[in-house]
Amino acid sequence: MSDPNLLVLASLAEGEKHGYAIMEDVERFAGVRLGPGTLYGAITRLEQRGWIRPVKSAADRRQPYGLTAEGRRHLEEQLSGLNKIVKTGLKRLRTV
Amino acid sequence: MRRLAHWAARLYPCEWRARYGGEFDALLEQAPLTWRNVLDVFSGALRMRISNGGIYGMGEAAIVPRLLNLSCRDIPHGYELESSIEFEREDGGRTLSRYFCREIDLGDSYLTLTHNSLGSAPAQTILICGKKGEVDGEFRTDETEMLVLHPSGTVQRTEQTVKTWLKHRIMVDRLRERLRNGEAAEDIFRQLRAASDQPAAF
Repeated sequence: MSDPNLLVLASLAEGEKHGYAIMEDVERFAGVRLGPGTLYGAITRLEQRGWIRPVKSAADRRQPYGLTAEGRRHLEEQLSGLNKIVKTGLKRLRTV
Repeated sequence: MRRLAHWAARLYPCEWRARYGGEFDALLEQAPLTWRNVLDVFSGALRMRISNGGIYGMGEAAIVPRLLNLSCRDIPHGYELESSIEFEREDGGRTLSRYFCREIDLGDSYLTLTHNSLGSAPAQTILICGKKGEVDGEFRTDETEMLVLHPSGTVQRTEQTVKTWLKHRIMVDRLRERLRNGEAAEDIFRQLRAASDQPAAF
């Protein structure tokens, strides 16, 4: 599973994070190292779709992002869909 | 390597940089910059330029851009630039991109208004109020406030520190001078496209 949009949303489900913290977190939980361009491509798309929003930050230039209610809903839908696929796949593997 | 990554980050569309430039530069300063990551910045800039229908893109299937209009008008303390470019897509259809920019230099600060549209997507209007900061080589660190005026009537406000590439400013000044001197817009456009790869050539 390496869809950058979903990985960023899953990372932000834990709480607000800036770009570098998202990169580190995604590598930790998914084993995927998002490049800076890939990460910001996803951030741009997700913000345009209203799934994430920038939040007030301290004085430095790093911009934290948080999930919006719509983003949380979208992530839940996507994960339930994936969960169904995983369950079905595992069930079929066990019955073969 | 870090220098190369920052240079590659300048290849992103200027509207995108006005919004995300400061925080993206901050990420590049913090992230480990391997060759893979530098290439990722390059390809990210390319994807952002050609992303289909995106407000920062110019149409995924665009093949050959054709300049329909390019004009520049001097105004007190600044200029206005207007262009219309048509992109022929792989499916034979055409997408029209219109761009308007008014920039006013107020000495230690500036105002930039851009209004652009791509195909049938709603036009986007952006007002940037910038306070000029310290110059470091080819870049200047500015404090900016960007207002994105959405067609719905809502306004999105973002304040950030942005590194402004001064060579871009020089290119615009040269463009204005060449248009004033009566050079054919088509010739200038051809050179501008080539200069997006080698800015010094323009």
